[in-house]
Amino acid sequence: MTALIFTIVLGILVLYLGFIKNKTILAPVAIAGLLVSLYLSFQDWGLGSMYFHNMILFDNFSIAFNISMIIITILIFIFGIDYYEDMKLHVAEQYALMIFALAGAFLMTSFSNLIMLFLGIEILSIPLYVLAGGKKYSYRSNEASFKYFMLGSFATAIFLFGIALVYGASATFYLPEIKTFIAQFNGHLPPMLLVGLLFILIGVAFKVAAAPFHFWSPDVYEGAPTLVTAFMSTVVKTAGFAAFYRLLNMGLLPLPIPLEKALWVMTALTLFVGNLGALKQTNFKRLLAYSSISHSGFIMLAMLSQHGSSAAVLLYYTFVYSLATVPIFIIFILMKRASERHEELFIFRGLFKTKPWIAVFMTILLMSLAGIPPTSGFMAKYQVFVLSISQGILWTSIFAILMAIIGIYYYFNVVREVFTEREQPSVIIVSKLNAALIIVCGVAVVILGIFVWKLPI
Amino acid sequence: MILLIILFLPILTGLFLLPFRSASVVRPMALAASVINLLITLSLVLSPSAAYAVEWISFLGINFSLGFDGISMIMILLTNLLFPFILLAGFNREQRNVHILNFLILFTQSALLGVFLAQNAFLFYVFWELSLIPVYFILLIWGGDGRKTITFKFFIYTLTGSLLLLFGIIYLYQLTPVPHTTDFAAFNKLNIPATTQIWLFWILFIAFAIKMPVFPFHTWQPPTYNMASTQGVMILAGVMTKMGIYGALRFLFPVIPQGVLYWQNTVIVLSLIGVIYASLIAFRKTNLKMLIAFSSMAHISLMVAAMFVLNTYALQGLLIQTISHGVTIAALFYIASLIKEKTGTIELPQLGGLKLQAPKMALLLLIVVLGSIALPLTAGFIGEFLMITGLFQQSIWFAAIGGLTMILGAIYMLYAYQRAMLGVQKSVFNKITDIRALDYLILIPLIVVIIGLGIYPQPIFNLFDQSIHATQNLIKPVAEAVSALAH
Repeated sequence: MTALIFTIVLGILVLYLGFIKNKTILAPVAIAGLLVSLYLSFQDWGLGSMYFHNMILFDNFSIAFNISMIIITILIFIFGIDYYEDMKLHVAEQYALMIFALAGAFLMTSFSNLIMLFLGIEILSIPLYVLAGGKKYSYRSNEASFKYFMLGSFATAIFLFGIALVYGASATFYLPEIKTFIAQFNGHLPPMLLVGLLFILIGVAFKVAAAPFHFWSPDVYEGAPTLVTAFMSTVVKTAGFAAFYRLLNMGLLPLPIPLEKALWVMTALTLFVGNLGALKQTNFKRLLAYSSISHSGFIMLAMLSQHGSSAAVLLYYTFVYSLATVPIFIIFILMKRASERHEELFIFRGLFKTKPWIAVFMTILLMSLAGIPPTSGFMAKYQVFVLSISQGILWTSIFAILMAIIGIYYYFNVVREVFTEREQPSVIIVSKLNAALIIVCGVAVVILGIFVWKLPI
Repeated sequence: MILLIILFLPILTGLFLLPFRSASVVRPMALAASVINLLITLSLVLSPSAAYAVEWISFLGINFSLGFDGISMIMILLTNLLFPFILLAGFNREQRNVHILNFLILFTQSALLGVFLAQNAFLFYVFWELSLIPVYFILLIWGGDGRKTITFKFFIYTLTGSLLLLFGIIYLYQLTPVPHTTDFAAFNKLNIPATTQIWLFWILFIAFAIKMPVFPFHTWQPPTYNMASTQGVMILAGVMTKMGIYGALRFLFPVIPQGVLYWQNTVIVLSLIGVIYASLIAFRKTNLKMLIAFSSMAHISLMVAAMFVLNTYALQGLLIQTISHGVTIAALFYIASLIKEKTGTIELPQLGGLKLQAPKMALLLLIVVLGSIALPLTAGFIGEFLMITGLFQQSIWFAAIGGLTMILGAIYMLYAYQRAMLGVQKSVFNKITDIRALDYLILIPLIVVIIGLGIYPQPIFNLFDQSIHATQNLIKPVAEAVSALAH
């Protein structure tokens, strides 16, 4: 709880720091503040404290996810030092909005009441609508922001409608009470409750960009400033899945048959759309958007396997996915700067020639996303498949494996570009801080893949 | 402990050599490491007892356990025997980024040894995939024309098989008694229902079938061999094809004997189709490297057929042929690259009369070709003779078609030899030189192995004492399945 309060105060503090001319202090202050939040989160470990009439429950699940999201945000902020260097105005707002979104994410991992979930999603989303339009004079950024806002608010409305319907049927917002209420029907739910639950799931599915509610994500990822895209595809996704899992685990398991079927269809569709969509992309940001959709598919596979350890797998998967995605975005921006701000795949051409070490780490990171040993991305997928196959979900697992092959195809398309030579070698400037960040993430991706232990959540 | 040294010595040397950019430092050091590894392996052959195991990821039942039996020993021996020559093949040649290339080759060696030493299916899988990564880059960076597309096809093809194998491993893992484990020992004790074994067979087999390759999973192979650098193709054809054979022996026979029994004839027929198909295409190929690639496929197909007839003769033949084929094909590809280097072409119609300018090269090629077509007194003869004997016990037709490998092989290989080496000398080749000391250093030892094993295979058969035991262990579950069906 102290971590949540502190993070919100930190956001306000950073916002006011914007009045000071010297913007170099922003990132250090924000990072130091997040480190304090990190410490405060660790303090809450194992307490399982509840607040506000039990509307919030900080159990180990939520704390573990919060810690993972704080770490990823810190990584993004460290990169922000370099990213925002040339930007004249409104840098403080960028940091502050991301910190506010992070506070919303904390609520999404710790709710035990649907109202809290709604609040969390809104606190997370509203800063993102603004952040997506962060490049005021860019049409694409404006388009992204507008599209995200329109579709996002539409999804929120459906979500809220779902909550209302569930409340109408069960007269409660508390997930444990909803669970006992559902249990008394023995699987034959009244239509109002069923529709309500379905609407709630649709709202959450929109947030994690699960097909068929994924249409916003490639456009928004492409248009938004790259740092914001990195934030969306890592922290926001983690928060979305934590909320999704908590919703299912606290309120809906065992899933009513119609909902379960709907979710399985969504999983297969997400895997299919994400991987097939990525196949023909030439714009790297769109490629990562579709790749992020396909990872949603794998995470949903783990989530629906309903096994005692799927929370741990979920955390591991989202964390190592984020850990690989952030440095990939960093390398992308560096390459974009070196190639007249193009965003196509060919900008990676010649990287091996000019910066062999960055090329090696890029390969390791892409291998992790593709799920090739000895990276942690492989261990994540391995654990997902262990869960799903142990539960007897064979066909969907085979389907997911076939989709993983397509994934390898498009990630290695990029690797191939990295190792292709370019006619005129470009000048790639990598600051020491960025190089350190890339190396730390790359090494961590491998280390976490070799030393895996079971998290007690 | 000794197994850890064998496993990690190559890659650690490679890592250590990365900061050195000078070829004159990197190459001898890498070679020294691989020779030392070979010597350690030989000492292991003489006193075969070593194992190593620690828990790795305990909650997923994954152990880092290394060990070997007769079959693994033959594979390890072949790997460590070929790699010094593969490294030697890079000496005195222009190569970009020598330090990275040598690192990747040593990396491959470690990964391959890992595959053959692993006693845990997960560990096996990790090394299986790891071996692919350095080879991918060796092909991508140092390959010939069209390397981008061809390498990509090779990569995706093999990974498709691997991922299905991964599914199979996890499926077997969750069948083991609680606490689940991925140890081979636990897999071998499984009692899987026959209906499951029948579909599981293909999930597991496709990975190995692609690697070997078995018809119709072979389409990646000839262009990849053709495009690869000398060292790349020596690794691919010499050692990596054997991964498929080893994997099939390790996974299929003890774990799903009934599945093997059910699909036995299908696989044999597919392999024999592969024999005929590859031999016929080899006839029509004018590109020498392509021709060798298809001949390799024909030989491997015969090995697969022999593997699936499931008798001791055939398995013995298979194991000796593993070494013989690995050594012969590496030597053949090395000479083919020499020809390419000296004449600038590999197309048979453009070659001819090379014997006049390079008689020593012609002689060495002739010996290797004779080894490849299984002339008596070469190791290939013993291997193929035993395999065809084994096929004969299954069916006379299988033996007859399998025997065609030798006959057809003799025709197309000797014809190719004639077109390249004999006949009227083309005037453009007036200036070419004969082979140098380095080439002797590579080819003579390989030829010594080919002929030595052909004349006096007894040392290897002694080594097989344990593998006879191992092969009988392999056949036993299947034989039991047969007798169960009879009742």
